[in-house]
Amino acid sequence: MWLVSLRDLQWRRRRFLIAVVATALVFAMSLLMAGADAGLTSETRRIVDVVGADRWLVAKGTSGPFTTVTAIPAETSSQVAALPGVRRADPLVIFHSTLRRTSGLKDVNVIGYQPGGLGAPPIASGRRPLADGEVVADILLGLKLGQTIDVGGHAARVVGTADGVTYYFGGPTLFMPITDAQNLAFRGLPLAMTIVTKGVPQTVPPSLQAMTLAQVRTDLDRPSKNGKATIQFLNILLWLVAAGIIASIVYLSILERQRDFAVFKATGASSAALYGGLALQAVLLSVTAALVAAGLAHLLQPGFPFALELTAVAVLRLLVVALAVGLLASLVGLRRAVAVDPALAFGGG
Amino acid sequence: MADLTVSGLTVEYSSGGYAARPVDNFDLAVPSGQLVLLRGASGCGKTTVLSVLASILTPAGGTVRFGDVEVTSLKGQAKTDYRRHTVGVVFQAFNLVPSLSASENVQAPLRAAGVRGNTARRRAEELLEDVGLADRMVHRPGDLSGGQQQRVAIARALAHDPPLILADEPTAHLDYIQVEGVLRLLRSLARPGRIVVVATHDERLSPLADRVVAMTPTAGGGERPPETVTFQPGQVVFEQGDEGDLVYVVDDGEVEIVRQLAGGGEETLSRMAPGTYFGELAPLFGLRRSATARATKPTTLTAYTIRTFRERNKDVWG
Repeated sequence: MWLVSLRDLQWRRRRFLIAVVATALVFAMSLLMAGADAGLTSETRRIVDVVGADRWLVAKGTSGPFTTVTAIPAETSSQVAALPGVRRADPLVIFHSTLRRTSGLKDVNVIGYQPGGLGAPPIASGRRPLADGEVVADILLGLKLGQTIDVGGHAARVVGTADGVTYYFGGPTLFMPITDAQNLAFRGLPLAMTIVTKGVPQTVPPSLQAMTLAQVRTDLDRPSKNGKATIQFLNILLWLVAAGIIASIVYLSILERQRDFAVFKATGASSAALYGGLALQAVLLSVTAALVAAGLAHLLQPGFPFALELTAVAVLRLLVVALAVGLLASLVGLRRAVAVDPALAFGGG
Repeated sequence: MADLTVSGLTVEYSSGGYAARPVDNFDLAVPSGQLVLLRGASGCGKTTVLSVLASILTPAGGTVRFGDVEVTSLKGQAKTDYRRHTVGVVFQAFNLVPSLSASENVQAPLRAAGVRGNTARRRAEELLEDVGLADRMVHRPGDLSGGQQQRVAIARALAHDPPLILADEPTAHLDYIQVEGVLRLLRSLARPGRIVVVATHDERLSPLADRVVAMTPTAGGGERPPETVTFQPGQVVFEQGDEGDLVYVVDDGEVEIVRQLAGGGEETLSRMAPGTYFGELAPLFGLRRSATARATKPTTLTAYTIRTFRERNKDVWG
């Protein structure tokens, strides 16, 4: 029956094309959402990796370096550096601020680090800050080298750019010397959010707690947890919408081909063969839409305000989903097709 | 060589809640190699008989036997195999799949039976050549004339070289030029080892047939004078599904007209009082009785043939 199914698709190619485009749009949205989900997970991993620490020490009882509002003395880093197992320890100041531009305020993440210490940004162009008043900005901000910017009311000069240093739904990050960050966040008080270490301290000062990289990522992910859950839920809804589109096309096709099915049954075609033909049509429609969606998603990707990750795995998963969606959609018409009375083939038409 | 035997075939179904019996106690015996015409007006049960012979419809009673196979008791895969290999059907409206070429339409039943692509294609080409459509193999039904479409349908029915061919009104959608080719083709199909049963109301087909079976009720005894008949309460004048040749006028008493319901039981449609008449439609249009007439009290009726009745009621039936 596959020949009959293929010919029917050719015969109704305009409808098939419309269904493919509609389903592809839905699948592309699904793929972009999956890309957003993966992008969020990835940026969390990347920003934690950028710091290059083995442990993050924060005030005891606080949730983590990115979400805490409890600061610790920055000089604790000297004490931590002397702990067994620690090869290096540096303070970091992490906070949220705004960048004033002619177009308005832009939210930015700020990481203040000890120049030459842990937490230095990866450089895409220019150099790392060497003195106060210098910053490295994520390229998403579109700042030029040498440009003077206003961060939280303090002037700074862009000396370098970094790529892919975002967190909290693609929020771009500014890296600056820790003293500038302390001026902005603590009015110059020598405080820090965390002490990061190279090497794993065997003991920790009583006022601090050590967090592994996984714990830090979890802390950073927590605010976006609801957003990610929403994305995943919407993704499932989109798959159902795609299944609905395909099911309605298949069902419509069955309604129009009642007499064909009656003739096939009257001439000895089995119900399984009829279903096989329908399933083939639905799967072809669905998988073609998934392939179109992959191309469409790549075209639409740059329009998103933060980096999406469209991986081969996501595309493969979409193909598997498309296969399942196609089979599910064809089941909707199965009963109708199998229930066709072959006696319908008789009659004057 | 398989013979076809139909015994006491009765088909009953629900029509608007009433029990309809388009085929009632029908018998037929056809030896192998014959072409049989089931001839009659629309609604007389020709197509219904074909549906039973094709194992598409299960009768309420009676048996159909083709060779060693009792068709009426087939179930499941045996039924599918019978439809696939034993019987080929030519439908009235051709019923070709519009998206398939002529060749693919003929291949369809072969492929559904698991025949490989190349083998099915060769067989389809062979059959289309046999029916004179060698130059139309890649044409879709929409690009073929009615006669050509019907020949493709015949080729499709022959795909598995079945020993029983059923054709339902094969000339209904054809003009007189196209009819000739289709008739010749149908005649050539009936040969030793194969039976062809054709349902038609087209009298032009009669000379082709080895045997013609009239499915329309015929006027029983021809012309005869009006006859007075008496009935006791509960006595039946005629039964639903009977062939009808007389019209009745109620002289005295009462007759109730009842119709059998699909789920059993019956519904009273009307009560005929003296001076009224009933039962005129069946003899007038060659139909079976659509209801049962039964006396409810001692009743006297006068029975007329349709011609006599019309002559006496010219004001209404003139």
